[in-house]
Amino acid sequence: MRRKTGIVPSTLMRMMCMLRMWGLGAGAWLVSGAAWAQKSFDDMPYKLDGGFDNPMTTISGITELSRDINRLYLTTTIIVTGVFFAVAIPLIYTLYKFRAKEGDDTPPKQLHGNVILEFLWTVIPVVLLVFIAIPTWQVIFKHDGVPARADAIKVHVIGHQWWWEFQYPDYGIKTAFELHLPENTPVDLSITSGDVSHAFWIPKFGGKTSAINGNINRLSWVTPPAKMPEVAGGDYYQGQCAELCGSSHALMRHVGVVHTKEGFERWVKAHNQPPKVETASQRDGEQIFGRCIACHAIEGTVSATIPGEKIGPNLSSFGSRSHLGAGTRKNTEENLAIWLRNPADLKPGALMPNLGLTEPEIKSLTSYLRQSTYKNY
Amino acid sequence: MSASTHSAGYSKTGIWSWITTVDHKRIGILYAISALLFMVIAGIDALLMRTQLAMPNNDIISAETYNGLVTMHGTSMIFLFIMPLSAAFFNYFTPLLIGAPDVAFPRLNALSFWIFLFGGLLLNSSYLIGQVPAVGWFAYANLTLKQYNPTHSVDFWVWGIQILGLASLIAAINFFTTILNMRAPGMTLLKMPIFVWTTLVTQVLLILALPVITVACVMLSFDRAFGTGFFDPGAGGYVLMWEHLFWVFGHPEVYILILPAMGIVSEILATMSRKPLFGYTVMVYSSCAIGFLGFAVWAHHMFTVGMGPWANALFSAATMLIAVPTGVKIFNWISTLWGGKIRFTTAALYAISFVAMFTFGGLSGIMHSSPPIDTQHHDSYFVVAHFHYVLYGGAVMALFGGIYYWFPKVTGRMMNETLGKVQFWLYMIGFNVTFFPMHFLGVQGMPRRIYTYAPDQGWNLWNLVCTGGAYLTALGAFLFAVNFFWSLWKGKIAGNDPWDGRTLEWSLPSPPLEHNFDVIPTVTHLDEWWHRKYSEDGKRKVMAPSPKFDPSTIHLPNPSFWPIVLAFGILMIGTGFFLPGFGNAIAIGTSVTGALVVLGSGFAWAYEKP
Repeated sequence: MRRKTGIVPSTLMRMMCMLRMWGLGAGAWLVSGAAWAQKSFDDMPYKLDGGFDNPMTTISGITELSRDINRLYLTTTIIVTGVFFAVAIPLIYTLYKFRAKEGDDTPPKQLHGNVILEFLWTVIPVVLLVFIAIPTWQVIFKHDGVPARADAIKVHVIGHQWWWEFQYPDYGIKTAFELHLPENTPVDLSITSGDVSHAFWIPKFGGKTSAINGNINRLSWVTPPAKMPEVAGGDYYQGQCAELCGSSHALMRHVGVVHTKEGFERWVKAHNQPPKVETASQRDGEQIFGRCIACHAIEGTVSATIPGEKIGPNLSSFGSRSHLGAGTRKNTEENLAIWLRNPADLKPGALMPNLGLTEPEIKSLTSYLRQSTYKNY
Repeated sequence: MSASTHSAGYSKTGIWSWITTVDHKRIGILYAISALLFMVIAGIDALLMRTQLAMPNNDIISAETYNGLVTMHGTSMIFLFIMPLSAAFFNYFTPLLIGAPDVAFPRLNALSFWIFLFGGLLLNSSYLIGQVPAVGWFAYANLTLKQYNPTHSVDFWVWGIQILGLASLIAAINFFTTILNMRAPGMTLLKMPIFVWTTLVTQVLLILALPVITVACVMLSFDRAFGTGFFDPGAGGYVLMWEHLFWVFGHPEVYILILPAMGIVSEILATMSRKPLFGYTVMVYSSCAIGFLGFAVWAHHMFTVGMGPWANALFSAATMLIAVPTGVKIFNWISTLWGGKIRFTTAALYAISFVAMFTFGGLSGIMHSSPPIDTQHHDSYFVVAHFHYVLYGGAVMALFGGIYYWFPKVTGRMMNETLGKVQFWLYMIGFNVTFFPMHFLGVQGMPRRIYTYAPDQGWNLWNLVCTGGAYLTALGAFLFAVNFFWSLWKGKIAGNDPWDGRTLEWSLPSPPLEHNFDVIPTVTHLDEWWHRKYSEDGKRKVMAPSPKFDPSTIHLPNPSFWPIVLAFGILMIGTGFFLPGFGNAIAIGTSVTGALVVLGSGFAWAYEKP
């Protein structure tokens, strides 16, 4: 029954011509692609980085939760890799051994099944799955639904389009983007949403948790020891929203910042201090900030005395945050100016409108906002 | 009424004959062509996304457009490509495989095709007015509410899904009835070809799962149109209810996509190794088990929503359990090949690659059946890799295999094998280069559905590789189109039975005549056609002469244009919900007119001469 498809010479010639045309086309593509890539490389601090110990890696956990998950991941990886070879080796061997020989047209022996074999490959997977299921359940019941420790720091985590709000009810602190925590301390997060569904996730801490409007989900870990000296402002652990939540879902980032105990105390004490207004430009900026207070508050200033929920992030200690726009850009003077010119340029769909500020106004407002930092105290 | 004497006004060729056709084979061809065209659109979506993600901080595509591409790619590939292409195979081959002259309800069959086509066109018309749904293919509440998506974008999705769901439901009832009632004499349930079995299980899943998504979509469209507030927490609604309703449908949907593919692969592997399917009965039971368990695992899509430890533990156990019948299938496929004389045709290559790729996707599936692991993998590229391995490496590869396998039967010509093999390897390599590195990206914490990423995350290299792979696959798809049209025009004449097949369709001419079987066959064996050709020890038998053909016994249903009219009425009902911008009178008028068209054409349909 084997048939060979004959290709007549003229067809062959035609195919060669076509191939050459495709080749030319592909070559042109490659050249322009390479030029474009080169330009992109020059434009940005870009390297073809594909390592395995990156800021958001899921395989080097630093809390008990994420380490338990890593161990479980290792166990399952070993088992399924074994199963993969148990399938791949017989499959490849079978394909090689039982390939049809040229000219042999008699059908092979018609084998219909084998009850013992089929029973075996029903039971063996069940046994293997037990080895995955038991440690799975152990980890579930160890971490999920466990009451919070009395000494845990309580934080309310609220997802907004497109930034994370962190409220510390015990300290009266409201902040955004940076979740500041002391080292070696249990944390009890209550996670919810102010609008659509989001998901809170810091991979190295483990335990992605949905933020759902109308629900409160709990997540707890014990923070790791602080590694960097406090002068660097603590250890940064990156996270990102993990549920499609609208236009700028990709730009809804956050970080966990782990301080030494002393460093955290200083942050708590100084966070709500008002900005130190020293220069004329900063005084102008304070005036201009009056246009922002319908949506934003800075503790210790008149903006914080207006009652009602603010729809924008609390800007106390804004100047000490590493990034602005929920991790969209580094928090530098230039980037803040770009943001103030038109937020939607940096962050598609941003709810903050273009305020129509003049360049001198932007300069003043920038210098004022950068004074809003706990590091001045 | 005989085959040759249709009532006046109906021709056998030309566009009108296709619009009014109730022939299951023509409807199957219509399904296949539409599905492949929609695949081109959804494939372009994917290429655009991969182009955007080739580099960090890329700005070729805006955030909102990217989210639209994500949504349309997923929705189209599932509802407008894999499902209708499977339906094409159900349509064309179920009656041939069971020895029937047509499906049980030929006009309903035409109706379901036209509703599907109109639903697909409605969904895709969102591109034309630039209001593309951008909420993901599972459209999680409450992002879908009017306050967060004030344009009609979500309406396109929710009405598209309702209309497409109706099409699938009608088709499912039709095939369920056909398979149970119209088998040739002697074809007991356990003598049905395995593809008919997986088709049957798929129809049961569709009949049970589609009402759930229909209810959910009606609630959502009422939320959007009338402010009912089912999913609006501000109005006392419950956001998570959408996720439950969606996945109660959505997980069986996964098996709706994969079971037909499993059936096709089983047929191809048996034919190409020239052996019966190993453990046929167990394959049947495992298909049923997969279908049954498929309803008990929906919440494994929701391990991060805070269901509590018990729900997570139980749903994870049920999910792991589903690996057992699936594993049995994989080993039975290998045993089908074992001891055979395997002919590495393009169809066989696709079927074998299904076994390998589906196994791989299944194994990563086992990894995130464990809720703690899933809290790290959920909504990351690891999951993207996983479901592309099962749905693309799995379902789509099998469907392409099915095309290569059955093309000769449908068209009378063989597809070009050389071009086919080149295309297969391009596809296979391109697929793996695209999706294997996504495991790395997922493990390195890259969330899915992000339109851009920062350059310092360590995601640069693998994203670039993935994009390269995507272009390779696109080249493969292009070669497939070349092969398809070339073979249609110049392919070698196939004859009745080019693969030395095992099932009844190979006993018919290629393409089969409109009435399928001159004489309805009497079935005595599983793999009936093989047993007519060979004795159990592999000797060629002298075939019994076919019974005398008496044309007066052929009864064919008349063509009808009422199905397309009725389907258009259903489209009009949905369209009314897009028109309040032109005034409520126009909106309500359109929907009411649509309802009247449905009623009127239904009435005319009922009184039409059969």
